[in-house]
Amino acid sequence: MLAFEVARPVVLGVVQGAGVGLMAIGLVLIYKSSRVFNFAAGEFATVGAFGFYLTKSHVPFLVAALIGVLAALGTGLLTERLVIRPLANRPRVTLLVATAAVAIFVIAFQFLAGAQGKLFGAKALVSGNAFRLVGVFVSWQEIVIVVVLAASGAALAWFFGRTDLGLATLATSQEPTAARLMGIRLNRVAMLTWGLAGALGGVAGVLLPPLTQNFTPAFGTTDLLIPAFTAAVLGGMTSVPGAFVGGLVLGLVQNLTQFNVSSNRLPGAPSVAVLVVLVAVLVVRPTGILGREA
Amino acid sequence: MARTLERPSAGGTPSPPRTTVSELPGRGFQPTPAGWAARAAAVLAPLMVGVWYVRSNAPVRSDALATAAVIAIGALSLNVLVGYTGQISLGHQAFIGIGAFTSAYIISESHQPFLVGVVVALLVGAVQAVVLGLIALRVRGLYFALVTLAWGKVAEQCLFRLKSFTRGGAGAEAPRPSGFTTDKAYLVVCLVGLALILLVDWRLVATKAGRAMQALRESPQVAANYGVDVKGYTLYAFAVAGAYAGVAGALFASRRLTVQSGDFDFAGIALTYLIVTVVGGLRRRGGIVAFSLLYVLGGEYLPDLARAIGVRTIEVNAGYYIQALSAVLAILTLIFQPDGLGTITAPVGRWLRGERFQLAHGGGALGRGGGGDARP
Repeated sequence: MLAFEVARPVVLGVVQGAGVGLMAIGLVLIYKSSRVFNFAAGEFATVGAFGFYLTKSHVPFLVAALIGVLAALGTGLLTERLVIRPLANRPRVTLLVATAAVAIFVIAFQFLAGAQGKLFGAKALVSGNAFRLVGVFVSWQEIVIVVVLAASGAALAWFFGRTDLGLATLATSQEPTAARLMGIRLNRVAMLTWGLAGALGGVAGVLLPPLTQNFTPAFGTTDLLIPAFTAAVLGGMTSVPGAFVGGLVLGLVQNLTQFNVSSNRLPGAPSVAVLVVLVAVLVVRPTGILGREA
Repeated sequence: MARTLERPSAGGTPSPPRTTVSELPGRGFQPTPAGWAARAAAVLAPLMVGVWYVRSNAPVRSDALATAAVIAIGALSLNVLVGYTGQISLGHQAFIGIGAFTSAYIISESHQPFLVGVVVALLVGAVQAVVLGLIALRVRGLYFALVTLAWGKVAEQCLFRLKSFTRGGAGAEAPRPSGFTTDKAYLVVCLVGLALILLVDWRLVATKAGRAMQALRESPQVAANYGVDVKGYTLYAFAVAGAYAGVAGALFASRRLTVQSGDFDFAGIALTYLIVTVVGGLRRRGGIVAFSLLYVLGGEYLPDLARAIGVRTIEVNAGYYIQALSAVLAILTLIFQPDGLGTITAPVGRWLRGERFQLAHGGGALGRGGGGDARP
């Protein structure tokens, strides 16, 4: 009993939460550099998933993964160049609407390419169970996901803490004018963050679908976007580690409610739980758990 | 109007001299009798075409036009929030869906007439919007957009799947009012609904409440200093938007005859309506109605066009092509022409009211530096 109600959702929650956390990091990066709430982030993940799963059977596995991530990265760069940069000095609500338009464009594109209503299979990249933990099996797939995601998070922490480019990005987010006077090219920094956010979304899109065996078109927007934003808000929208931790919290919250609340009594319980967490954080502690500025 | 407000952050630059009403171009101009005749003809001609269309046996696409009316009402509801008040809603599938399921429930489960269904949908829509508005009082701007997004998801996955309310996945029945069961007759119902909403919206903007809402858009702090009841009018705006959406939902439900939870998804309703509002032009009623019509008719006639030129993929997926195209249009609108289709419809409207026809008439919409948030 305990295994089903607690241990299994905890394992799944950590794995999914890591993916959500990665997307949340992308949201935080973009918010820090451009002060934009990027509603196209979910579609970065979807693009990554399609890039990977449509090419997987034709090319080697790692090449397909690279294609998926690069496709998402390209989507991020295109969004920055074609939509965000021309709107740079507009009110932030305008930018939000523009990113939402990007999302619906990508969704409509998938549908008109014939994906509407289809379910795309996503087999585990590596099969078999790794070990048994308090009565539940943990698969290799799940271990791979957590390792890759943790590695990405660590790489980002290193990038922002130890490299000049990372510091330039942080400086830009804090004081764009001063950063520009110091010789930082703001457009390059924006390209970098949008590209990074795209790639992070792509990684999440490549890794997460096997957990549910399949994915639907636009799954990034319908399933991942809201938890990712909530995770980012938990991190105060400005803290990269906070966003990752927030992702883990959201993964746990969603899976624990999913496993423990019968859908006959309350359908869609995870979405209710996410709304409750989001409103609670925004009302009680708008700076998030690790955020410094609101 | 909100344009008379000055944001404190705009302090450094000297403000341009204010234009007073008497200095506005076009005042003092009186159309000639022929000019009035042309204006009357411009109003009457479409009306007569409309009457002929409804009465004739011409091959009509009444159902598509009814859809356009429903989308227009939904987009006008968003316009109250995004355009007038400056709040953003990304959860409009909840607004519309709650109206639809409420109306269906009242008509088929409580056996009340159609009109009662519409009125109850209107009230319930207003109440749920006010509840959301209470959150908007605490959580402003972009963060509130997230709350609406999550609320839309809750409605989709939880509310609309409660068996007692929506009959689960099979869908709730929402019969049309007796005497209006054909597509053509039901179109008349939808058009009357749209006309009433337009009338209410016009009066709303012209009154104290409308000016207060627009002041809130520019800056709640400044509005409060001028004595605007920030809380009251924020909630008022939500109630109005929710009421419009409730009506849109009720009409939506009876147009389809059954409503299912799957009808109200984020991409299909919330994002689409937002894009229709933006391309039509924020605060531009005429533009919004015009683009709703273009959006639906595009999806309706594109297959014929595609068949004529022999492109099968467009023929089958016309709706999605229109959606993708509208998204591109929305981005172009935001970048180049913040007034959207209103750029064209607003001068026509002024011309009809007896002014000279001229395209430029001040008044910036979303974008153009003004409005929104000046923080870095």
